[in-house]
Amino acid sequence: MTRKITEPTFNQFFAPRYKIPVPRLLTGDSGLSEIKRSLEAWGGEGLVKPDVLAGKRGKAGSIRAVGSAQAAVKELNRTAGMEVNGIIPRGAYLVEKIPAKWEVFTAITYSTAHLGPVLTLSLEGGIDIEQVSRNKQVSIPIDIFEGLDAYQASEALLNLGYPQKLISSFSRVLIAFWDMFISTGMETAEINPWRITPDGKPYACDFKGSFDESNYKCRIPGITYPEYPSNTTDFEDEMQEWDAASHQGQAHVSDLGGSKILPLLFGGGASTIITEILHASGGDPVFLSDFGGNPPYERMYGTAKRCFDYHLGHAELLLILGGKANNTFVDVTFQAIADALSDYCREHGPLTIPVVIGRGGPKLVKGFLVMRQTLEQLHLPYVIFGPDTPVTMAAEYAARLVNALPKKQEEQEHVS
Amino acid sequence: MSAETLSKLLKKGDRIAVSNITGREASQVTAVSQKYCGNIVGGWALGKGGQVVDTPKGPVQVFANFEELLRLVPSKKHPNKILIYSPPEAVYGEVKEILKYGTGTVETLFIVTEHVAVEVTAKLHRLCRQAGIDVAGCNTLGMINTHDHVRIGAVGGDTPDESFKPGSVTIISNSGNMVNTIAGYLASVGLRVSFGISTGKDRLILTPLKRLLELAEHDEHTRIIVLYIEPGGTYEAEAVAWMKDHAFSKPVIVYVGGELAEKADITLGHAGAVIEGKASSASGKKQLFDDYFGSAPFNQAMTAQQYQQKPEALAKGLRVTILHHIPAAADLIYQVLGYTRDTTRFQPLTLNPWFVNLHNLGKALPAELALAAGTIPEPHLSQYKLLVKGFSDSMIRQPMRNASHASSNDGAVPRVYGISLADLMEKRSFVASLVLYWTGRLPNDIFEEHLVEMTLIASLTNGPGTISAQGSKLSASAGNRPHTAMIGTLASIGEVHGGNGSKAAAYLLDIFSDSGLKDPYDPEFTTYPLAKKAAAAFRRKKEAAKAIGLEYERIPCLGHPVFTGEEINYDPRERVISEFIRKSNRRQVFLDFYLQLAAALKANGAAPRVMAVNVDAALACIWLGICWKSLIDKEITTQRVIDLPFAAFALGRAAGGAGEFFDHQDFGTAMDMRIPVNECRSLTRPAKLSP
Repeated sequence: MTRKITEPTFNQFFAPRYKIPVPRLLTGDSGLSEIKRSLEAWGGEGLVKPDVLAGKRGKAGSIRAVGSAQAAVKELNRTAGMEVNGIIPRGAYLVEKIPAKWEVFTAITYSTAHLGPVLTLSLEGGIDIEQVSRNKQVSIPIDIFEGLDAYQASEALLNLGYPQKLISSFSRVLIAFWDMFISTGMETAEINPWRITPDGKPYACDFKGSFDESNYKCRIPGITYPEYPSNTTDFEDEMQEWDAASHQGQAHVSDLGGSKILPLLFGGGASTIITEILHASGGDPVFLSDFGGNPPYERMYGTAKRCFDYHLGHAELLLILGGKANNTFVDVTFQAIADALSDYCREHGPLTIPVVIGRGGPKLVKGFLVMRQTLEQLHLPYVIFGPDTPVTMAAEYAARLVNALPKKQEEQEHVS
Repeated sequence: MSAETLSKLLKKGDRIAVSNITGREASQVTAVSQKYCGNIVGGWALGKGGQVVDTPKGPVQVFANFEELLRLVPSKKHPNKILIYSPPEAVYGEVKEILKYGTGTVETLFIVTEHVAVEVTAKLHRLCRQAGIDVAGCNTLGMINTHDHVRIGAVGGDTPDESFKPGSVTIISNSGNMVNTIAGYLASVGLRVSFGISTGKDRLILTPLKRLLELAEHDEHTRIIVLYIEPGGTYEAEAVAWMKDHAFSKPVIVYVGGELAEKADITLGHAGAVIEGKASSASGKKQLFDDYFGSAPFNQAMTAQQYQQKPEALAKGLRVTILHHIPAAADLIYQVLGYTRDTTRFQPLTLNPWFVNLHNLGKALPAELALAAGTIPEPHLSQYKLLVKGFSDSMIRQPMRNASHASSNDGAVPRVYGISLADLMEKRSFVASLVLYWTGRLPNDIFEEHLVEMTLIASLTNGPGTISAQGSKLSASAGNRPHTAMIGTLASIGEVHGGNGSKAAAYLLDIFSDSGLKDPYDPEFTTYPLAKKAAAAFRRKKEAAKAIGLEYERIPCLGHPVFTGEEINYDPRERVISEFIRKSNRRQVFLDFYLQLAAALKANGAAPRVMAVNVDAALACIWLGICWKSLIDKEITTQRVIDLPFAAFALGRAAGGAGEFFDHQDFGTAMDMRIPVNECRSLTRPAKLSP
């Protein structure tokens, strides 16, 4: 579960710790009198913003300027309930409007070209910084050990046309920005934009960032990471939690909303390819899954059990498919899946759906025999392919098979 | 020291050390690699120094850390390649230590570890670049060099020779699994592999595609390159730009996966599949290669003749839209450009089910979907035959600390193999419940139940002089409690007292493993030929051993020190069991075999008289009969079957030991088992210690 934060969390927890100047901010649940007092202190005007992990198009269109407490309350309520690019906000907040003569757009992320962190600067923005044309932005590789070179940043700003007299103060906050990034295990961080007041003071006026879950630094004592409403299903949520519970074998799923084939897939590459074939061939897969990485028995059993509990009851075909494993023991994973399948049938009654299997890798034949024995015991129709049959052909076959299955009795009656 | 060719990344003669070598995956990979190419010189693991990792080529030494490895391994064997299997949190420290002690010797690191922080990966890149060391990973699966028959990491799984034979195709893949899978596909058109490389698919790939292509360009064995690409990163954009600038001379076949995920706005399993702008998306990468090739993606409907008209386009390569078109596209390039295939042996890719049972569904399906079982290719067919024929030596293992098949308790109902203890108490006997607990199945009928009961009764005692009874009496004499005395009995049985039943079980398993016996009480099954054959085999062995004055191994459980001396000898306890079987109008195949064997040994002259089939043999026969069905169904291991007769003897004799204890406790005098000093003999002369 990737940790992501936006402006409210940044303003409340991170900016003060790293001495990054930010506009004053009120959360959406603030009272009328508090809002009134704050607006007066802020010069009579504020901005209402949705707290949302906005996608590529940002949240620019959903920001409203307000000049009174009543208008602010009204906008806060309206904005909190309004989807931004199809995403429900976590809430809305009111933030001080910073008068600005200049705006600078910045991002720090890890660059695959430089194989290290990079600071990207632009004097244009409003959307994701990467969308700004290349000649209007500059990227500065950062030495991972030595940190951001302020001189280098200053040069870059000058080249972009930033006023020389303001560079010194801005370089200082860029250093603070880097310090925050590297000290908290962030993977991406965008301050978009910095607004520079007429007297040259920079304010970080919006923020979005994500943390690298593998970096211990992001587990910061005293900080509660916000939970954002997501479009994930209960199944995805449970699987995410289960996936995060162990590093022994993956348990990655992404719901596709399909209803025909329940695919238990192995290997990051194979799972992607198979899902694409299923989709293109009308197999209507329930989800994309990647269960490789040599999961031990109990991990694989737990994964299969969750998939079966959520989806086996309404799936029309069970597909267990993966490429030729290097590491994953087929006998262990198949025993676990077979046991989970048997337990499901014991609990929910017999199934009649066909099972298509394709796999290669260590202890393959033993795994196939385990699976075959279970499928025979459960009287389930099955076809088992070895590694000499391409996974893509096996996936195509499964898609054609599920579409050729005789209609269930009640469906036939309904149609007639 | 950075590599200039692919073979510099991995070649014959490289010496590999493995970090965290005792870990689950690392130790398995080490064993396979040693068998395949024997290039591992040692490993290290925290707190495991002094241990070894067993491999088919002998043990691999485990050291406490990398520094100790360098100190204790002869300098000629100092590793130049390192395979890192350490946990993510430890990777940075491991690499620092490698750089501290190994700079100048170590050339390449292969970091298999997943979930290494991006920050750490960036630091590793910076440190290793400074030290002139190449790094593959993180999250690589390693690489294989088929011409040198060496690998590092897990490429090729547990049978690298199966997919990787020397050839002319280098596979570079973001997915480790796809290296193996694509190698298998290429064999279908007679193409084999020169190098198989898993780049890893973390956010930062430390040996990027451009670098690998640079190395492949200079590799003498590589004619074409197959790429499996996923979304994320600008590696392909850099590689394509480089290929354009340097007029890359080798055709590239590329498959780009992951566009569906992009369209559906879902995440892929690999951590690095993060889109940062168009060039890093799957669709962007497809476009990138299409522009480079200057042609539409591979079309299977087009013939080689049609492509022949523009061979220069194929010289750059092709993009395929379906994975299993890779071999056809490669074949096309070889045909049009006039390359020679690596082998003439090939079989087209097709649907080949190994096992099928569609039940009634098959009748309702169109013929092309109602598949029939095809051919299982070697070596899988041999493995299959071996597995279905024999018994099971091992079950699929898992941590059992808090798990049991044998018992359960949901907080209210204790169960044995799913049957509640209360039900067993009300409806079945102790013996039936015991059979359930020990074998996972209840006895078939009252006949089997009584047979098992007799094995326990027969084991109770053979008189107070037996050493097992003595064990209990000694304990009673010392003033112990009954459970300690029972332990005294159990401690006084062993391989030569009670353990013979296990040997008999093993002997019977050997004799009957190929017999085709399904039912151990089958009235039609003929045991005499088996007995005669076994007797003949024993006679040959005995005569051969005697001829050169060697001791020979006896058939277990034939003969008894008490029941001997007659022309035909019997153990009366075995007789009771045999008589019960006869009166029940049944037979027991294994016991019949044993009795016929004793007679056959006398008949062929291997024994001077008909030896008694002793009670241990009878125990083994009965328990083997009880287990036979489970054994055939591979529900229990041969080891359990071998252990059960001894366990039955131990249970009976421990109960007997309690009987001896109670008797001794009531009627014996304190320390009466003690042997007075004057009855003990010294076999050593008195001696004095020098001052």
